[in-house]
Amino acid sequence: MTAESTPRAARAQWLDVWTRAVIVPAWRRAAAVWVGTAIVAAVIFGPSAMRASDLTGLALHHAGVGGALAVTWLLVFVPTARLLVRAEGAAYLRTLPGPTLAPIVLAAAALVALQLPWVALWVVGEGLLGLGVVGVVTLAILALASFRPPQLRAKWPGWRHDGEALRAIHVRALRRRAGDALVRGAGLSVLAGVAAGLFVRNNQLAGLDAAVVGASVIAIVLVPAEVGVLLVILTTHRTTAWLAMSLGTSRVTRIVAVVYAIALVQLAATVIAIAAAYVVTGDLRTIAWLGGTSLVVALASAMGCARVLLAAEDSPTIAARTVVGSIVVAALAVLCLGLFGEVGIGAFVATSALALFTTPVATPERA
Amino acid sequence: MSMLEIERLSVRRGGRTVIDNIALSVEPGEIVGVVGKNGCGKTTLLACVAGVLTPRDGRVVIAGASVWGSRSERQRARRSLGYVPEGADPPGFLLGNELWSLCAAARGATPPSQALRDALGLDELRDTALERMSLGQRRRACLGAAFVGPPKLLVLDEPDNGLDAKRLDAIVGLLKAHAADGGATILASHDAALLDQLGARIHAMRDPSPTIQSED
Repeated sequence: MTAESTPRAARAQWLDVWTRAVIVPAWRRAAAVWVGTAIVAAVIFGPSAMRASDLTGLALHHAGVGGALAVTWLLVFVPTARLLVRAEGAAYLRTLPGPTLAPIVLAAAALVALQLPWVALWVVGEGLLGLGVVGVVTLAILALASFRPPQLRAKWPGWRHDGEALRAIHVRALRRRAGDALVRGAGLSVLAGVAAGLFVRNNQLAGLDAAVVGASVIAIVLVPAEVGVLLVILTTHRTTAWLAMSLGTSRVTRIVAVVYAIALVQLAATVIAIAAAYVVTGDLRTIAWLGGTSLVVALASAMGCARVLLAAEDSPTIAARTVVGSIVVAALAVLCLGLFGEVGIGAFVATSALALFTTPVATPERA
Repeated sequence: MSMLEIERLSVRRGGRTVIDNIALSVEPGEIVGVVGKNGCGKTTLLACVAGVLTPRDGRVVIAGASVWGSRSERQRARRSLGYVPEGADPPGFLLGNELWSLCAAARGATPPSQALRDALGLDELRDTALERMSLGQRRRACLGAAFVGPPKLLVLDEPDNGLDAKRLDAIVGLLKAHAADGGATILASHDAALLDQLGARIHAMRDPSPTIQSED
């Protein structure tokens, strides 16, 4: 290596590490968004439904629809943008000599490129005008991703027993560790509701039929929304293990705390989805059916997902098992609902409960 | 009745016998210092006493209740102890006051007293996340959690790590006061001066592999 090429090689190496620290994690997070939007797009833009220009045209001419669409995308994409804008993964790299302009250009390019589904929708739908919309929304994303809320003084918790304390700790973990995943999940929940509502409306379904189909759509679309959150819940379960064991907290209490945290997320996501579905269908009776069914499915899914997490507790491939497990739980829900209708709801609840209650009893680290 | 009774304790980890057939008892009002070279099993012994690690064989009894006995015994034993592991690593997102509140809730006790908070300087750590604390601060937060109650038996793995001289004196005072009130302590430390200050009975551990050894 010559003396002249050394600085260039060093800069390239710096940029390579920076890319792996910033762009790659952002890409991984965006991938979940792409999967969610792909599922929704398949439902909305299926052969019997809308085209891109129908949706973008509606958004441009109806402030409510446009606002809802933009807010949904902000919710979905801001967590990914935060990784690029704040670049906290590269904090150490900034203490080393390296290029200054290249990372900014790369981050800006990634900020647009990782919005591919959004960019594609607007460019296909509106051409150059669509690019303008993408630009304006990207500026809003940039502003939101740069914003850091002030820290408030915490209250002294008044927990009465260890079960209550553990449940509260899981909620705190969700707030502090899964904030981005929750925001993204809220966006995907809106999409899930919109997709379910359109599916029900376009196929002119009502009553139990609408509930079964709508709840199935919601269960599928929520899978990418819940995976990030599930991993945070599992990490909390694992890191509190020694504390709980030395405090005499029973395993049942710990499992209840895990189910509680997952159920909280599932129910919240489902409520958002139901509200979005109501906006699309405007039919209260259908939404009542859909709401009841979806909430029961959400509770049962929470039990199924808890079983998935507890089974993966000591696995080295924990993330992959969580993803696959969540898909299996959603697939089981769809199968039960699709094959057996209202009886299937009961079958799914019973299967999930049985799966949870037969979770193998793990002992502390074996000596 | 002994505060801690360890009988024929054996532990294997990673295919190696870490602890082999250890027996040890700690009486009320007593402080026992576990010493030995790195890797001799001090941390493993304390993790077994705290119920975090399952032994291969033997019994650990705290205040008459077996750590690995029936469900109610297990719970009684563990609620009689306060544990600070070597890493002092509760979930990093927890604030100081949340850690102490969890321990208080589990033991049916009140949060740390003003005297304990003053001795360990806990008030300044109240609203700080554990992941943002220095090693010494995290150790103080965990010691505060261990003292909540206070439990009958303290199990402390290198409690002096990262502590400044002022807090070290405070720990000595707290442990002596705990012993004077009839509590017992078992702690691992490399600091002979600290153990001397505490008037601790020394339990020396030897590496049990490759030959089988018995202690005490």
